Amino acid sequence: MSAELFFGLLAPTIVDGLSIGLMYAVIALGYTMVYGVLEFINFAHSEIFMVGAVIGVELLTAVLIPTGLHPVFQLIIAIVVAAGAAGILAVAVERFAYRPLRVRNAPKLVPLISAIGMSLLLIDVMRLILNPANPNRPFPSGGSFDFFTQTINLGFVSINYKTMTVFVVVMLMLAGLVYLVNYTNLGRGIRAVAQDQSTSSLMGINVSNIIVITFFIGGALGGVAGVLYALKYGVASPVMGFIPGLKAFTAAVLGGIGSIPGAVVGGIILGLLETFAGTYLPLMTNDQIGTEYKDIVAFGLLIVILIFKPAGLLGKAVAEKV
Amino acid sequence: MIEKLPLATRSTLLMASTLVFGLVAYLMVLQKNTIESYFVTPVVMLFALHLFFATSWKVTRVAQIVVFVLVLVLGIPLIGFANSLYLQVVVTICIFAAMALGLNVVVGFAGLLDLGYAAFFAVGAYLWAIFGGSQANNFISGNLFPLNGNLVFLFIPIALFVAAVVGALLGLPVLKVKGDYLAIITLGLGEVIRVLANNLNKPINITNGSQGVRIAPNPENSPLAFITVPLSQATNIPFFQMQLTMYYVLILLVVIAVILFTTRLDNSRIGRAWVAMREDEVAAQAMGIPLVRTKLIAFATGASFAGAMGVLYAAVIGFISPNDFNFERSTQILAMVVLGGLGSIPGVIVGAAIVISLNQLVLVEISRVLQLINLPPRFDPTQYQQLIYGLILIAMMILRPKGLVPAVRQPAKLENLEHGELAKGVK
Amino acid sequence: MMLLNVNKARKVFGGLTAVNDVTFQVPEKSIISVIGPNGAGKTTFFNMITGIYKPTSGEIVFDGQNLIGLRPDEVTEKGIARTFQNIRLFGAMTTLENVLVGRHTRATTSFLDAILHNKNYKQDERAGLLRAKELLEFVGLLEKRDELAANLPYGEQRRLEIARALATNPKLILLDEPTAGMNPQETESTKHLIRRLRDEQGITVVLIEHDMRVVMTISDNVTVLDYGTKIAEGLPHEVRNNPQVIEAYLGRGAAAGEFGKTEGGEAA
Repeated sequence: MSAELFFGLLAPTIVDGLSIGLMYAVIALGYTMVYGVLEFINFAHSEIFMVGAVIGVELLTAVLIPTGLHPVFQLIIAIVVAAGAAGILAVAVERFAYRPLRVRNAPKLVPLISAIGMSLLLIDVMRLILNPANPNRPFPSGGSFDFFTQTINLGFVSINYKTMTVFVVVMLMLAGLVYLVNYTNLGRGIRAVAQDQSTSSLMGINVSNIIVITFFIGGALGGVAGVLYALKYGVASPVMGFIPGLKAFTAAVLGGIGSIPGAVVGGIILGLLETFAGTYLPLMTNDQIGTEYKDIVAFGLLIVILIFKPAGLLGKAVAEKV
Repeated sequence: MIEKLPLATRSTLLMASTLVFGLVAYLMVLQKNTIESYFVTPVVMLFALHLFFATSWKVTRVAQIVVFVLVLVLGIPLIGFANSLYLQVVVTICIFAAMALGLNVVVGFAGLLDLGYAAFFAVGAYLWAIFGGSQANNFISGNLFPLNGNLVFLFIPIALFVAAVVGALLGLPVLKVKGDYLAIITLGLGEVIRVLANNLNKPINITNGSQGVRIAPNPENSPLAFITVPLSQATNIPFFQMQLTMYYVLILLVVIAVILFTTRLDNSRIGRAWVAMREDEVAAQAMGIPLVRTKLIAFATGASFAGAMGVLYAAVIGFISPNDFNFERSTQILAMVVLGGLGSIPGVIVGAAIVISLNQLVLVEISRVLQLINLPPRFDPTQYQQLIYGLILIAMMILRPKGLVPAVRQPAKLENLEHGELAKGVK
Repeated sequence: MMLLNVNKARKVFGGLTAVNDVTFQVPEKSIISVIGPNGAGKTTFFNMITGIYKPTSGEIVFDGQNLIGLRPDEVTEKGIARTFQNIRLFGAMTTLENVLVGRHTRATTSFLDAILHNKNYKQDERAGLLRAKELLEFVGLLEKRDELAANLPYGEQRRLEIARALATNPKLILLDEPTAGMNPQETESTKHLIRRLRDEQGITVVLIEHDMRVVMTISDNVTVLDYGTKIAEGLPHEVRNNPQVIEAYLGRGAAAGEFGKTEGGEAA
């Protein structure tokens, strides 16, 4: 490929990679926070993300567009509602599928299998609700929603409003989360429970409440990411959660699971890497190696990281107590 | 109630019942016009269920053998000649039972959650589909393919080996990390294999991409055709049906071998090391068990079973595509293991039988019944298999984590020593 | 001859020095006790020897071989076995099978042997069962061989842990608080068992112990750790009268006479 083409694609690839990476980061936060508190992979998180996306899109299509509000307001309402609904769903999943197992102190494999079951269940329930013959729900376009297809030109690169929205919303959420975790009582509680459940409960922290709240926050973040994902890719569907969920988990492990900055760093690295692979691999190999191989690059990276730095980039190695 | 009967009566009753159900089922299947009836499948299933009774109830050895012969040797092939659907289902059950037994080594014995198990199945299936069909002509010149069908018997050990090597190579970095990650990484690896299967149609066409690979179902491509062709001519049974019966016999033997292997592994030094590791990794390692290697053995063993069954699957079905090996497939096999009972060999077979017959018979029948009341197609239960797997996984974990047929390990006993070696002090 | 030579071993966790340049020697066929107040770094010290933690610096040489960088299973293979402070048996396995697992490194059954049930498999299983029987007789658990380990009473679980460790054919056995939580009779019989480990099996013993009556009567030598540092070492009566040791246990100004009666039973 020519140098001109190479450099011409550089800036848009970075912008695209960053926006995807930030969305992975937000989903990854859901995995990482729950893992931090419970040492448990909430497999159903990718489906919470999906439910958030579908609720957001359905709400826009069925309720908000007819109101004729400015699309930005519509999107804000959709995001808030989707976040709330996804958070409540996450809490419900915890209540029905995980807590009974935690209470009886089951071996680690047991809640993990239950979580996988929950993930499958949510996919098919959503298919049933949306009608399996046509389960895709396009993100509104045309009319006032043409607003999001506008672009702003920054000179070296032009960014459309969809991508801008992703940046702005994710930044706001990250700032809010950092504040919540580091500067509030609730955040202190979460951090304490993550470090030592029994001591925290001796110090008067209501551990069950903290767990519920953590699931809610993680779920809400997933819901927001879902709406953003639908906005960026133009569609929500019952099966949309699988791949982003897998990638987000990869990002969480990459950054060091349990670490909030780790999830963000991991998400950004993964997003950039796979976008670069997706853009440049086909160009460099004359389309012999297609865009699809970006998934292989992502998981290859995960394996490499785990071999050389099993605790992830920002994670700390924890020695098991003997 | 059954348990209260004397042993001899109970055994006789079971044998008689097997015979009656077998005859009724056979007659019903023979009546071509009753195929449409809603009662055929339940009766056939009840007939097959006698196998389960024979193994789970206390009956005489003779009764067990009689039931096994009646169902497996006589009943299923005869019913299969009359209606190949049922034989197809039984063959599928056997394939998946063998595969689930392999996953059981990984998840049940060694306690490692492998969510990319279908990837190894894909390795075996593609190996045979590519070389046993004409696909390999795309990248190997000389028009050598399809290979003679009897080479399946060579490809089974090849796939066993290749899948074990792939499993070991992938497992090595993965098994060093914390157990929690394993699930998600194997999930990723499963995706990688699927992406490869989907995209390795260029630069050279190896897998034929999303189109999948087909093996023409003619005698030259079929194993043991030198037996089935004359047999089908002599009996006037169509070749494909005779061939299916042949596969049935073959795969039944494979399942028996797999049961034997896994039972023996379970009761050996290696099996004990797996259980110890599952119970307490730190203590196991302190007792000299090398964790990574012991896990790797489990991982590669499971992979090799899946690889071998992949070859047979490709041979029986005659067509494979990347969608046969997706995440849903991996969870399907996991559901079998979890439903039957983690670590339980009879349980896993029961699990495979339930899941496959649910998919291929029960749901189909239910949906036929539901059509009578004009249920909208949207509620057709055959489209919600994942919902069923999900429910199985959650319900089993919450209500019955040991499965329908919980594992009973046969612990080592000093009584296994020969007589004279039991010195005084041992009763 | 020294069986185990630990030279300036140090382990740092973050900012905390858990074991501080400890030098420690174990002569062959001796019984050595490691004592010290709670949190003195005794178990961490054991974990360094057995490969669970890699020392930050220092040397550990066992029987002429360097142990640094070996995994726990490799250390076991070299001939060091251990028990755990809070018993870690394989609860779902029988007593007999627990001992058989201990024989893992000495067993020769390969994957293929197990599948084929060949001659080697049969011989190996037989040898394993005979050895297990011998060890269960040694610790007095033969009658309980088919019970699940989880169902054994506490004292028997401790003895089973010792039998399981012995099955690895060790030259050196590390016992982490072998009498913790035992009543006087159980303690007495464990003391007897530890002596027999050396006298009958020829195994060198290092134990972490809180019960001073045990320490004083069975040890050839006692090493005292406090805040990760070795503060004393010597014959039992020398250590007992060492003012630094008394201070470490009872605090400054405590009466020397009380030492030795108050300790016992609690977990570090």
